[in-house]
Order: sequence, then C-alpha cells, then structure tokens
Amino acid sequence: SFAVDEVSSIIKEAIEGAIGGNAYQHSRVNQWTTSVVEQTLSQLTKLGKPFKYIVTCVIMQKNGAGLHTASSCFWDNSSDGTCTVRWENKTMYCIVSAFGLAI
Amino acid sequence: MEIKYEYVRKRSEFGRPCSFSDFLAEVTVDIPPDPSLADDFIPQDPVDFAVQEGPVMALHEVNTERVEVAIQGVNHVEGGWPKHVDYKNSELTTRYREEVEREEIYTKTVQRLGSLMEHFIRQNNTIDIYEEYFEEEEEEDEEEEPPSYKTINVLRDPNQPKRMATRLSWHPDGNRSVAVAYCSMEFQDSRRDMCIDSYIWDLEKPYSPELSLKPSSPAVTLEYNTKDWHHVLGGCYNGQIVYWDTRKGGLPVEMTPVEFSHRDPVYGACWLPSRTGTECFSASTDGQVLWWDIRKLSQPSDKLILDITREDQLQKALGAVCLDFAPTMPTKFLVGTEQGIIISCNRDAKTPPEKIANVFRSHIGAVYRVTRSPFFPKVFLSVGDWTARIWTEELMDSSSIMETKYHTPYLLDTCWSPLKPAVFFTSKSDGTLDIWDFLFHQKEPALSIKVSIEPLLSLCVQDNGQVLGCSTRMGTVFLLEISSGFCTLRKNEKTLTSSMFEREARREKVLQDKHRERLVQQQERARARPEEQEDPHEVFKQAKADFLANIKAERRRR
Repeated sequence: SFAVDEVSSIIKEAIEGAIGGNAYQHSRVNQWTTSVVEQTLSQLTKLGKPFKYIVTCVIMQKNGAGLHTASSCFWDNSSDGTCTVRWENKTMYCIVSAFGLAI
Repeated sequence: MEIKYEYVRKRSEFGRPCSFSDFLAEVTVDIPPDPSLADDFIPQDPVDFAVQEGPVMALHEVNTERVEVAIQGVNHVEGGWPKHVDYKNSELTTRYREEVEREEIYTKTVQRLGSLMEHFIRQNNTIDIYEEYFEEEEEEDEEEEPPSYKTINVLRDPNQPKRMATRLSWHPDGNRSVAVAYCSMEFQDSRRDMCIDSYIWDLEKPYSPELSLKPSSPAVTLEYNTKDWHHVLGGCYNGQIVYWDTRKGGLPVEMTPVEFSHRDPVYGACWLPSRTGTECFSASTDGQVLWWDIRKLSQPSDKLILDITREDQLQKALGAVCLDFAPTMPTKFLVGTEQGIIISCNRDAKTPPEKIANVFRSHIGAVYRVTRSPFFPKVFLSVGDWTARIWTEELMDSSSIMETKYHTPYLLDTCWSPLKPAVFFTSKSDGTLDIWDFLFHQKEPALSIKVSIEPLLSLCVQDNGQVLGCSTRMGTVFLLEISSGFCTLRKNEKTLTSSMFEREARREKVLQDKHRERLVQQQERARARPEEQEDPHEVFKQAKADFLANIKAERRRR
C-alpha cells in the first residue's frame, strides 16, 4: 500500500533541491515547477513499487492573496493513497500533491 | 524525461476486480488572504502586456533576377502541304485542292464541321459578353486615401563605371520615352574608360536604351523641343551646345564651335518658343547666357553677362547653375546662380544691363533649380541650401513669401506639379523625394518617399502629373507613379492657392515697409543729435582729471 511518509520525504527533498533558498522570480517559476514535478516523479518511480503516480505542484507568490484547494478521490482505499506537502519561505508558497494508485 | 518502470504480471491477475470506495474531499490547502503582505508590492498601472494567440508566421521577400527581354520577329513560312506539292507553285496547289475536294469524305466532313460551327456561333451570339453591365457611374466623391506611390520602373546605366544621371527630360508626346543625360560631375574626373553617351530610353524596353546620343563631351543637360519632338538640345560638359535629331540617329546634327561656346559646363539649356521652333538659349557657370539658333550654331545670336551691378563685366559675373523659361511668361526668364542669387531677366531689353530686371538674394548656397509656377506666372519656386522657397516677382528686396523648413540633407531639385497649383516635389541629397502640398500642410511634406540611398540629382514630372522620374548619382532613374490624390484638381484649389500666395506676399510687403520705416527713423535720429559725438571726449577728460585729483588727495593724506 501507499507509504505516505516515504513519499512525503521524497517530495520535501525535491522542493528543497529545486527552490531551496530562492526568492520568488516570475521568470523562473515555470522552470521551478517542472523541476519539482520531474524530480518527485523520478524518485517515486525509483522506489520500484507497482503504482501509478500523479504529481501536481503549485507555486504562489506571497503578496496577500489567499489560496484554497481541495481534492476528492474515488479509488481503492486499502491500496491507494495521497500525500500533500505544504512548503513556504519568505516570498512564496509551494504545495505539492502526489497521488499513488496501485496497479 | 525518461522514466521507465517495468513490471511483470501473471496473465491470470489481469482484470482483477477493484473494490472502489470513496475518499472524501479534504481541503488540501487553505491559505487565507493577507493584505498586509501586499504592502511589499507597488501596483503598476497601466501595464503594457502583449498577448498574442495566433500562428507565428514569417514574412520573406524574394526578388527574382531581371529577365532580359528582347523583341524579335518570326518568319512564318507556309506549311501543311504534303511533300510532293511545292506550295510556291500555284498550279500544283490548286490541283491538290481539287483532288481533295473530289474525295468522298470531304463533303461529309465539311457538313459535320459546318453544323458544329453553327452551334458554336449561335452560342456566342446568345450572350453579348461585351455589353455594359453597369451604367457609367458618376464620379464618386474623392475618397480620402492616404497618399501613396508605386515604382513603375527602374532604368539603370548599362555602363561601368556608372556615371551620374544629371538631367531627365520627358518626350512631349505621350511620354513614352525619356531622355537622360549622363555625365560624371566629379571635379576633374579623368577616368578614360568612362562612356560619354547619353541615352533615350523607351519605357517599354527598360533594359537597353532605345537610342544612344553620342556627343563629343558628356552632356550635362538634355531637353526635348515641345514643338518639334524630334529635336533634342544638349548642353555639354565642355561648354558646347549640341542638338540631335532623333530620326537621324545618335550623332549630333550640329555642335557649336568651342571658341564661341561657354567656358564651363552648360548647366541649363532651354528651347524658346518662336515661329520656327529653332531658338534656344543656354547658361553656364562662366557667367554668360547665350542665345542660339540651331540652324546656325556657328555663333550665338545674343549674349548676356550675369553681372548684377549692371556693368556688363565678365569678372563680376555670377555663375549660372540653372535656367528657367516658362511659356506662361514669355518675356522673362529666371537664372539661378552659384552665389545664391536668383536673377529675373527680360528677354526683349535692348542693352544687356537692362536685361537684368530683378535680383533676389535668395539662398545661402547655390540655387540648384528655379521654376515658375505653371498656374501663377508671377510666382516661382527655388531650391538651394537646405530649403525650398517660393517667391513672387513683385517683391524683390525681401525674403521669400513662403518657405519649407530647414532640412538636414540639402535639396537638389524641385518641380511644380502641372495639375495642382499648390503641389510641388523636391529631391534631397539623402535620396528622399518629398511631395509638398502647401494648401494642406506647410511644415511637413504630404508624402516623403525614400527612393534610394544615393543623392537624387534630378527630377522631372510628366505632363499628366502622375508619373515622375528621378535620377540618382549612380546613374539610375526611378519612375514613380503617385496616387491620384496628387493629380486631381479640387474645386476651389486654384482660388485658395492664389489667395494664400497673395496673403503671404502682403505679409512680406508689410514687413518690408515696417523695416524701411525703422531704417528711416534711425537715420533721422542719427541726424538730429550730431553734438552727442563730442560728449565722449569731454567725459573722458573729466574722468581723467577726477582720477588724478583723487590720487593726489590720497597721497597727501598719507
């Protein structure tokens, strides 16, 4: 079944690696989101588990706006799972969700 | 990104039923808005942001090589006859024809073909495809289309090295051909291999000149005779005048002898209207204007020295750079000089000093062109230094009545439009051609065309006012067609233009009068107080005495 802690740590590593100590820069945001997603996905597949993965990443600048998201799933609760990591620094928020569906 | 995950599954395990259950919605992220963070940012209003959603296309222009076209005739010899029949022999041909007619299928074929023909002819006649579908509509109101131009043709100097095309003249009839004078005006240009011919181009054949005019010295200016279209007058670089008859070919019919010609290149040569159509005159920078009759070119019929002090001295003469004669004012002609002075002269004055009527101190540099307006004979246009100016004959001591702004490149040639009284064209040394419409806008040209990168030396507009030719320093002649807005005369344009010129002339006159008044007043004042002259001396003596007294007083104190 889905190992939430492992996945969570993988995601955290990926975020730190991609946007670690940077401040929000509009010109580089695209690059950052793609690198977070790719990094997470490659590490997840390296686990070698028989899962289908879906990874999403949202980077939002801290300028006073609010953000609300929700998700709902219809799957096999025993074998499938999800993990969301919320990360922030002084200038931006980064929210990464990973969904794993057993094959 | 290459991610591969291989897994192995037993066939029996495929299609395993999935027990679905609902994973209820949960809020993944909930970040409340925080307006205080917005203080770190400055709103930018307005923001210029371009958004484009459309296929990106590239524009690429391709210019094909010029195709050299020549006109040739084809000799068509009769054919279709069988080998044993010699088509030149009428007996054989008639016998063959009778043979064919006697064959059986002949009648049948003819009948069949005949009925086909009838069918087609009937078809043709049912509909008249040449009928007028729409009645001739009344002239639409002039659409205000923006001024535009089109390049019709480009005539290049076929020789190497390329010479400057110094003057153009359109054929007076139908404007099918243009005479272009080629001459290198570089000072002391001594290239031996340079061709000295000038050409007459036929606009239908822009690749090779129709006629090559061969003077003994390169022609600086060429002019068609408006009365007799076959005569072309040329002024040469060495001061001679030549004339050609285009029916007789490229060699000049007659040339003036060198002893009696000008001493400098002939910059202006014009035909004069006379009963015989053979009179002309020429001007050059050696300070003379000479009259000639082409039937007798051995001596000038008259001579005028451009000495504005009216003493007829050649040493004091001014060099003429352009000559203008307008049939609308046949008693006078205009000469523009190197020294920036325009001289208006009378043709019929008896003595040479009387010939010089008015002197206009016009430009800072040489006057490159002077032309009279075809609508208002008293008004003329001149170009020189960096402006184009309009003058009227009545006011001579003042400056021009109207002028264009000072441009960066200097102006080389100008021409009035023969159709619209307030439109004229100027060409500049950076290769731009400006079309000015003084009724419309006086500070800016109505249309500015960048014709080439080389200076445009000469400009000539056709009589229909729509096509103009401009020639460049590299010997290329561009033929441009301008939009019809510049060629159609509006209703009260002539009255408006004449009132504009009158108004400006009146303004100049008023200014001139005021200036004269002021001068007179100054003179009066100077005459009224002559004693004041002595005062400075008295004051000086007084000052000196005071100074010495002060020094003495100081010394005594010590």
